[in-house]
Amino acid sequence: MKKLVEIKDVCKIYNPGENEVRALNHVTLTIGEGEFVAIIGQSGSGKSTLMNMLGCLDTPTSGKYFLHGQDVSHMTDDEQSDVRNREIGFIFQGFNLIPSLTALENVELPLIYRGVSKKERERLANSALNSVGLEKRKTHKPNEMSGGQQQRVAIARAIAQAPPILLADEPTGNLDTASTKEIIRIIKRLYHEGRTVIIITHDPGIAKQAKRIITISDGMIQSDIINPDYKE
Amino acid sequence: MLGIIIGIAAVLTVLIIGDGMKATVNSEMDSIGATSISVSLDNTKTDKTITKQQLRDIENNIEGIYGISPSTTDFGTVVGRKGTVDMYMTGGSESMIERGQIKMVHGRYFSRSDVDEDKRVVVLSQTAADYIFGYEEVVGETFEMDCYGLTSEFTVVGIREDNTMDKAYALYGGDEVIVMGEAPFTAVADSFGYDVDSYISSFTIYLDSVNKDEVLSRARSVVENILGLRGENAVKISSGSGFDQTTESILNIITSVVAIIAAISLLVGGIGVMNIMTVSVTERTREIGIRKSLGARTSSILTQFLAEAAILTFTGGIIGMAFGMGISFVICRIVDFSFVVRPELVVLVVAISTAIGLFFGIYPAKRAAKLDPIEALRTE
Repeated sequence: MKKLVEIKDVCKIYNPGENEVRALNHVTLTIGEGEFVAIIGQSGSGKSTLMNMLGCLDTPTSGKYFLHGQDVSHMTDDEQSDVRNREIGFIFQGFNLIPSLTALENVELPLIYRGVSKKERERLANSALNSVGLEKRKTHKPNEMSGGQQQRVAIARAIAQAPPILLADEPTGNLDTASTKEIIRIIKRLYHEGRTVIIITHDPGIAKQAKRIITISDGMIQSDIINPDYKE
Repeated sequence: MLGIIIGIAAVLTVLIIGDGMKATVNSEMDSIGATSISVSLDNTKTDKTITKQQLRDIENNIEGIYGISPSTTDFGTVVGRKGTVDMYMTGGSESMIERGQIKMVHGRYFSRSDVDEDKRVVVLSQTAADYIFGYEEVVGETFEMDCYGLTSEFTVVGIREDNTMDKAYALYGGDEVIVMGEAPFTAVADSFGYDVDSYISSFTIYLDSVNKDEVLSRARSVVENILGLRGENAVKISSGSGFDQTTESILNIITSVVAIIAAISLLVGGIGVMNIMTVSVTERTREIGIRKSLGARTSSILTQFLAEAAILTFTGGIIGMAFGMGISFVICRIVDFSFVVRPELVVLVVAISTAIGLFFGIYPAKRAAKLDPIEALRTE
């Protein structure tokens, strides 16, 4: 299995000095291509910081982060933007769709920043929306859709550009039971299609859907196990 | 958006009304003959006079003018139907009709050939005709005028409307009645015992357009050449009446005040744009976070917000332009100014407002572009 994510002895320290907060405390973690990983932890455990680190939204105070073999620990804003655009598809708890844009336009956004032509953008965005079952909602704006549908638009946006990593931060946190099942089903399907999926959650029910479960607390990895209850 | 619309509408309204006011004042000035230049010989430096022929030569050598005319005044008496009246007889050339305030009601003004042939013809004011003949339509009639012991007969060729001078004499003349008439200066000289070639030392140039500066610069050398007064500094030239100059300086003050108001309004419009952009950035912090997380570079965000600022100000500019033109049209109608819209002015105002919008959009756009995506995503 090829290494996709390699985090080596990473620390993230806020307010260095007397009242410093070690959000990540010497974390080392490797995730291979095509894995399905859940990172579980209570609020304040450091899982959000880890997620920001994995998503290249943040840089470590010390230690190294290699993504696809490339050192992404110390990059400029714009370099980080490019890496995010190329490597990572985000799925957020709050969906994070742009309210003024239609479903199709929202899905096209990352492709715009990648410089894909208008025609190709539309083709990719259409096929992504089809794959999450939203053929009929393409011209709808986010406020005209249910939470489950909005999250499916967000998933379509994350996969439209076919990034190697899907990074889902509490993807079902704002959803009812039916929608949660639907979203988990789609995420599992994406994993089976060969994508690397990382879910960050505080909910053991969600975490046990994944093949590998990493537990984090106090900024340190407490356990890293292969889920014995994993069902295909 | 409203701020920009109001800003630009205000600027345009002020500028268009300013233009309209200037145009109106200018045309009023034209109508009372303010576009003239006075030329006189300084009698402390030369004892030369201007001959009839020299006047014609000067007239022919300055381009872009209606003509030139001396203006002599002689005072005499006329025995009329309503008793004896005092009469001011002004001697000039046929171009004197350009002096303004001359509206013919009967007959004609005296002509070039009347001047050249020393014809004893006269144009009377309505009041003069009434006092001398008892009625107005007296074209073709003759009367005698006594002046300096000489009596001359004049034939009436035209009657003109009373002007302010007639009205002033009628008001302030008291028991004495003073009436006005105009005749060829050649005939006046001939009648009252002057040598026509040795009593003219000043004249007025009547302009046919607003090329005053051009004529001013040419007039001196032409006059000095023809009179043989080169380098003697004996020719005095003044550009029109004091009224003209006063009006012009007032207009200049108005123009600068208008310009200052316009500049302030544009600035206010620009600050309006900055406010709107700042609010927009704050409202859309989350959107910026989303865009950055999806891979937007700093420059993409910057471009997006600047483009929005430009579109905002441009659209606002167009709408404000329409409002400004509408408002100024109505105001010009109400206060009876001419409604003049200079296209370049409109283009300039819209261009400047867009530029100001961009300039003031840069600060909030930069702030937006530099937002930390994590912070931006956290805001609600």
